[in-house]
Amino acid sequence: MNQSLPAIEVKNLTVSYGPVPALLDVSLAIDAGQLIGIIGPNGSGKSTLIKSLLGFVKPDFGDVLLFGEDAEKAKGRVAYVPQRGSVDWDFPITVREVALMGRYGKQSWWKELSAEDRDIADHALEQVRMGDFRNRQIGQLSGGQQQRVFMARAIAQGGDILLLDEPFAGVDAATEKAILDVLESTRETGRTLVVVHHDLATASEYFDSLVLLKQRLFAYGPPEHVLHPELLSEVYEGTLRIFANLQSGRSREVGQ
Amino acid sequence: MYDWLVDVYFVSPHLFKALITGLLVTTVCSAIGCFIVLKRTSFLADALAHSMLAGVVVGYLFMKLVFGKEAHAPAMLIGSIISGIITVAMIGFVSRFSRVKEDAVIGIMYTGIFAFGGVLVSLFSQYVHIDLLHFIVGQLLGVSDQDLWMMAIVTVVVLSFIVLMFRSLQLVTFDRVMAASLGMNVILLDYMLTTCTAMVVVTGVQVVGVIQVVGLLIAPGATAYLLCDRLKNMLWVSVVFGWTGFLVGYILSENYNVAPGAMIVVVLTAQFLLVFLVAPRYGLLADVQRRFRAIPQQVVEDILGVILRAQQERCGIDDLVTHTQYKADAIRKAVNSMVKKEWLCFEQGIVSFTQEGRKQARRLLRAHRLWETYLQHLGVAEEELHQRAHVLEHLHDEDAVDYLDDKLGHPLTDPHGSEIPEDFEHLVSGEIMTLAILREGHTGEVVRVGKLIVDPVSVGDRVTVGVREDDSRTWVIAVTKSDGKSAEHRFNHEEADEISIRLD
Repeated sequence: MNQSLPAIEVKNLTVSYGPVPALLDVSLAIDAGQLIGIIGPNGSGKSTLIKSLLGFVKPDFGDVLLFGEDAEKAKGRVAYVPQRGSVDWDFPITVREVALMGRYGKQSWWKELSAEDRDIADHALEQVRMGDFRNRQIGQLSGGQQQRVFMARAIAQGGDILLLDEPFAGVDAATEKAILDVLESTRETGRTLVVVHHDLATASEYFDSLVLLKQRLFAYGPPEHVLHPELLSEVYEGTLRIFANLQSGRSREVGQ
Repeated sequence: MYDWLVDVYFVSPHLFKALITGLLVTTVCSAIGCFIVLKRTSFLADALAHSMLAGVVVGYLFMKLVFGKEAHAPAMLIGSIISGIITVAMIGFVSRFSRVKEDAVIGIMYTGIFAFGGVLVSLFSQYVHIDLLHFIVGQLLGVSDQDLWMMAIVTVVVLSFIVLMFRSLQLVTFDRVMAASLGMNVILLDYMLTTCTAMVVVTGVQVVGVIQVVGLLIAPGATAYLLCDRLKNMLWVSVVFGWTGFLVGYILSENYNVAPGAMIVVVLTAQFLLVFLVAPRYGLLADVQRRFRAIPQQVVEDILGVILRAQQERCGIDDLVTHTQYKADAIRKAVNSMVKKEWLCFEQGIVSFTQEGRKQARRLLRAHRLWETYLQHLGVAEEELHQRAHVLEHLHDEDAVDYLDDKLGHPLTDPHGSEIPEDFEHLVSGEIMTLAILREGHTGEVVRVGKLIVDPVSVGDRVTVGVREDDSRTWVIAVTKSDGKSAEHRFNHEEADEISIRLD
């Protein structure tokens, strides 16, 4: 891997659905091995940015480069961890089968998966300490364990960049901590994690850097710079009613 | 089976053909039905079934008027597949670009296209000899050789599609976004599945008719869904249910001289209801039994607690009864189930731990003592600590306890001065843990150092953990560098969290 190239480079990205731009002239570069949070009000283009990184949406203008390559070509190097709510937890599938899905892109569709693929999936499960649960159906796991299974799938995929859509939405405090542990230990393996996040109160604790979006890129940098009261009140307008004591990061966002 | 079939063939070729038809059709219907159940598109399958009338008529008319052929089966099949795909495409298009939601659009489109087919039938009644009644209730006994060949081809095509594309189908059904991110053509796969469904529906209509074909498609899959935790198994089990439903239904219909299509669907539904009742995990009875039989977690944990505190960790059933407030019956039931789980040994009236049982008990003790420490921090009176922690210790899932441990700064003792068991779940050789969680005597190699630690420790150093100092708020470690130099360093909690160590 070329160290000098940023993991993600977005240049003048403009995306629109119909007449309204979802993203307008966004440029940023993210170095490898970082844990990045994307924040912004609802409808601010957070998921559009994620979709652009996945190569799902065609930009009107601008480029997305992953390790210097076009996003289209780098497909497979980006692993997507779905929102908890979008997964059918009753689906007849076991923990191991989910992890194996990470290998689906590596093998032609008509061929059996190889023993090596199975080893990689098993190893990924061990890495997130889910090896003992491999034959469980995924609905029979706790919230933190479910998240770990999908992290294992992303690891098995060999993704250098992991995109997570609101992994903390609707989980209790203990699970939130467990998920954060998984994110941090994944970062330690040199992977880049981009996380859509909506809780400003915890944003400064969790991430190395923050991206503040609302169609345009309002700020990108260390949390203490991005979580600037003036900047936030401009981006969130009236939606942020209570936001005192910003620097300590202890306050709660009420605007959602 | 083969001999039997040959016998049947000679006795009654009619019956033979009906059997082959039924088995082929139920095989493909049950297999494709699994995906329809999982994708929750049964209404769409219903639409597909109805819309095929228009396709059948157009196919019929085309062959009749252009080539002068009567009731040309391939043309009618292709016609119905095309009308099915057009219906699905129109439903997709209209629901995307209008504010009317999908279910309403399906309702409009399929009745519309079905009615259009009906209009065509009456308009061209002198050319088209399609019996609408057969179309509606099926004509299992009137299957022509040509139809049978069509069914065989459909079976081969659909089954090879499922077998070859199994992984793609599984992924696209389970997680479309990931499928797309791997570069799969999700839309194309959808249309391939729709095409297969259309083909299968056309064959199914021959057997049970257009109104009941949805039952033939979905009932076996739904039944299997109640029994299986893997998609592959679900497909198998579904096909078997399709077969039994068909065979039993068909035999009953012969005996009582009723319409076979209706009887088959009745049996399929009965099968579903039966399995819904008795399925071992997702069934109604299992659920009731679980609730009835369940030994409250609290009883189990209280028993573990009593044994752990007993002399030499051994006690009798009577001791368990006196030390807990449960009845002897409940205790005996719980002990039995714990013996079965290999947590306890029960010999000559004495209960003692197995290795796993002790581990579970220590896990509980860890939760109990951490909760006590936490309650003391909150300012709960000394004499209430034990009772309240005793209630809270049942909240001991791994994540919650680890969180508590971290918030309290990884204490070594509880307010009464008793030792809090270490996090033995994770503290095993080869695991990577932060220094904060380690206890005296642990050794290992540093694998990561955070930003807070400036100088003294770096990746690759060997570390031995020493006695915690300063009311256990300062971690002391002996560090040996690769050049052999060693030194002692002290860290606070925040710093100790920044050093990750792989345990020896």
